[in-house]
Amino acid sequence: MTHVAPNLDPRTAATFPQAALPILRNTQLRKNVAHATDVIQAKRAKLVAEKADWQALRTAAAAIKDDVLANLDAYLEQFEDRCTAAGGTVHWAADASEARRIIVDILREEQASEVIKIKTMTSAEIQLNPAIEAAGIHAIETDLAELILQLGEDEPSHIVAPALHVNRSQVREIFARCMGLPDLTDDPQILTAAARTYLRKQFLSVPTAISGANFLIAETGSVAIVESEGNGRMCLTLPRTLVALAGIEKVLPRFRDLEVMLQVLARSATGERMNPYTSLWTGVTPGDGPERFHVVLLDNGRSAILGRKVERQTLRCIRCAACQNTCPVYRQTGGHAYGSVYGGPIGAILTPQLMQMQHAQSLPYASSLCAACYEVCPVKINIPEVLIELRAQVVDQERNHGARIFDPMYLGMRIANFLFASAGRFRFAQRLGRIGLRFFTGKDGWIHSLPSLGARWTMTRDLRGLPDQTFRDWWAKRPKEGQ
Amino acid sequence: MTSRSQILDRIRAVTGPASKGTGFSPYKTSPRISGALAPEGHPDLPRTYIRNGSLTTSARIALLIERLREYDADVTVCTATDLDACIAHRLRASGRLTFAAPPGLPASWLAPGFDWKLDNDLSHEQIEHCDGVVTAAFAAIADSGTIVLHHSDREGRRILTLLPDWYLCILRVGQIVETLPEYFDRCSQPPALATYISGPSATADIEMTRIKGVHGPRFLNVIVVHDEAQSSFENN
Amino acid sequence: MRASLFVTCYNDTLYPETGRAVVRLLQRLGVALDFNPGQTCCGQMHANTGFRAEAFSQAKRLVRLYQDTETVVIPSSSCVAMIRDQYHGLFEELGNEELRRQFAALLPRIYELSEFLIDKLGVEDVGAYFPHRVTYHASCHGLRGLHLGDRPFRLLSKVRGLELVPLQNLDRCCGFGGTFSIKNAEVSSAMLSAKLGDILDTRAEYCTALDNSCLMHLGGAMHREFAAMRTVHLAQILASTEASPLEETA
Repeated sequence: MTHVAPNLDPRTAATFPQAALPILRNTQLRKNVAHATDVIQAKRAKLVAEKADWQALRTAAAAIKDDVLANLDAYLEQFEDRCTAAGGTVHWAADASEARRIIVDILREEQASEVIKIKTMTSAEIQLNPAIEAAGIHAIETDLAELILQLGEDEPSHIVAPALHVNRSQVREIFARCMGLPDLTDDPQILTAAARTYLRKQFLSVPTAISGANFLIAETGSVAIVESEGNGRMCLTLPRTLVALAGIEKVLPRFRDLEVMLQVLARSATGERMNPYTSLWTGVTPGDGPERFHVVLLDNGRSAILGRKVERQTLRCIRCAACQNTCPVYRQTGGHAYGSVYGGPIGAILTPQLMQMQHAQSLPYASSLCAACYEVCPVKINIPEVLIELRAQVVDQERNHGARIFDPMYLGMRIANFLFASAGRFRFAQRLGRIGLRFFTGKDGWIHSLPSLGARWTMTRDLRGLPDQTFRDWWAKRPKEGQ
Repeated sequence: MTSRSQILDRIRAVTGPASKGTGFSPYKTSPRISGALAPEGHPDLPRTYIRNGSLTTSARIALLIERLREYDADVTVCTATDLDACIAHRLRASGRLTFAAPPGLPASWLAPGFDWKLDNDLSHEQIEHCDGVVTAAFAAIADSGTIVLHHSDREGRRILTLLPDWYLCILRVGQIVETLPEYFDRCSQPPALATYISGPSATADIEMTRIKGVHGPRFLNVIVVHDEAQSSFENN
Repeated sequence: MRASLFVTCYNDTLYPETGRAVVRLLQRLGVALDFNPGQTCCGQMHANTGFRAEAFSQAKRLVRLYQDTETVVIPSSSCVAMIRDQYHGLFEELGNEELRRQFAALLPRIYELSEFLIDKLGVEDVGAYFPHRVTYHASCHGLRGLHLGDRPFRLLSKVRGLELVPLQNLDRCCGFGGTFSIKNAEVSSAMLSAKLGDILDTRAEYCTALDNSCLMHLGGAMHREFAAMRTVHLAQILASTEASPLEETA
């Protein structure tokens, strides 16, 4: 099968409506996405229903993250201090290219020819793997979903279950081809066993690993990683050198804060009371785990988001993907339509901001503002509020562009505002509209086809023709009863 | 100017005292640290979630066992006097021969008739060739069915409970708490290393079908031991 | 009880029968209703599309228009959500302190229709008769913005002759989303198709909701597909009696 990897580089990806169109025609993918999100949503809902203090936990989680953001410099410095005291080395990367350089330099120092990786969306954000490969080093993904994507030359479509858009027969085909197992069946048990065997050798032999981090603990300089498969534990304990890449917003003040964050994360991400394995480690422990430990703290646009009053809540995100699972838009398109490693509702607000609003400007509009995401977000990010704020920024950027003066949407909005500014004008417009639309109105009183922007409506929906009398005209003319 | 100072400067520009009106939350008054933060947490943070459990000891044990069994863990309960025999029985029932054990494991737990590999600097290959591993634990959390290891010398290095396919964990009743916050209450100081195990490794990456045992032990066994000394507390 | 009707720009132009139904209903309940002809739009379309300055001028107009009004009733949960969620921010960002204060005073006097009936008038049984099989779609703004909860159900349960059929996934967005339905017409239609599947499965004669925006989108597809179902605003159901049944429109 000819396969083109989706473009998840926001600088060059197609706009959301353009990217969505071919995906909408992929009924297999839509079925896979709907099934996967239904399963996780149902599990999450069941656990949330049984948790009497769920709303209190959300409030606490949001408050902890707000405390972090308000004192981010202090907590980062404290983390650096404690991690270094425990034998770790902390690096600071202002942007993606610096992060790539720091990590590749560490790998070169280690004379690594290969590196095993735990799933980290942050490394996809900075496009790390191509940089590693360009340095002649082979990056091996060890998370099952990431392995499927790497071998299948595909891209992640979901923050927690990146291969959610792939079904079992597609996995079978990829593994059979890349692992040299022509007799492989599509039984998920068999496929998983094949991956286990394939990766075991790597875990025991590759001395360098790269991870992300779910939480950095300022109080102790510890790092926490949450996972299900055990590849994390393998990569965190077997190699000689470990590099953890983390966005600066991942820091938490205290070890104790995990009592809130772990409770909301597992339930939101996978619908479990606790994920199978959570690992916590501090710097270097002689005799247990890597001898050399590096943390790369990544800014890459986060400090800019911090400075914006409405948008900064974006940085509370703990990458649980509950918003993706509940989003009715994501349900129809999956993640690739968002042209970024971060898709769904969080992607719609995070990606344009990381791009300093220079790219991905269609993403804030990739939402019907239904607020289902806000309802499930464990750290109470009011995503619709941020979407509307970003839309205003896009419009303010665009409004003065020559190209927009004749754009029907921009023109229409200006005209509508003019008409809404006075009741007289509005009545006039209502009359004009009724007369104008008469041309398009069928004998049954309905409109089946409209030109220009209207065609976007009538492509799938009829529109009832404008009634002969508006409400206000009826009110003005009706016989007055005693009031 | 290093990236470090660049990043910190950018952050301070919007959160520092000079940045009034940027609308930060009340927790801005959290102490700018040079010394330790209060470990219990910022005094103003809303903590109205459930901290303490409400179950009796026996209900708590029952809950943990139920959760462990939901994960297909094999759970046995015994008294302290029967522990050594119980361990031997479980090891025999496994059909396995070579077991890894942390160096500080009580000697009486090392049942005769098995090939014990005490972890005095075993190599990765040696651990990989063990059929199973036996350790103690630091705590268990009933609500989520979580076993907590702080990797003391009775619990072993992290890789010890990772490579072998069969794992037996010995838990004292007194180590079992109901809620996650109660576990944190037990930590007089934060551990340098910790592993929280809530079931065998699993993946749902292929069509959301939950498959047990990707990496990490596929077979989880737990013995819950009633301490003789604890028996007077059983009616709590 | 006196109240003023803010009928909304799109009801005024596209669904005047909803406005008429509100008038009939509230007058039947003894409300002295008036209509300020100076009204136009609440600014939601502009605000949600990113035209904030324009939204501000419409918001300013609305607040000034109603600043001395005792009670305002609005048969559109998305417009009420716009006012409740965004006006404050608009006035803070672009407005002035006086406007913000005027708005703060007005806000508690604004009611969505089902809120007005249940919270202000204290009635659930409005004396309605609507002998049809009906399913109810929970518009997102009413559900998550206004937390209307079971108000619509309490009202529907008292309508004589009405058979209420539960809707699967009733809280899932229909895909309208204002200008989303145009800017992302294909995705909007995909969401519509999924939603319509659930709605048509109820085999109801009517699908109702508190927002004609959703109903325009759902009803537009029903009509296109010759589905055996129509849409009707909740106000029209509540206004129907034996003597004055549902006003027939195309």
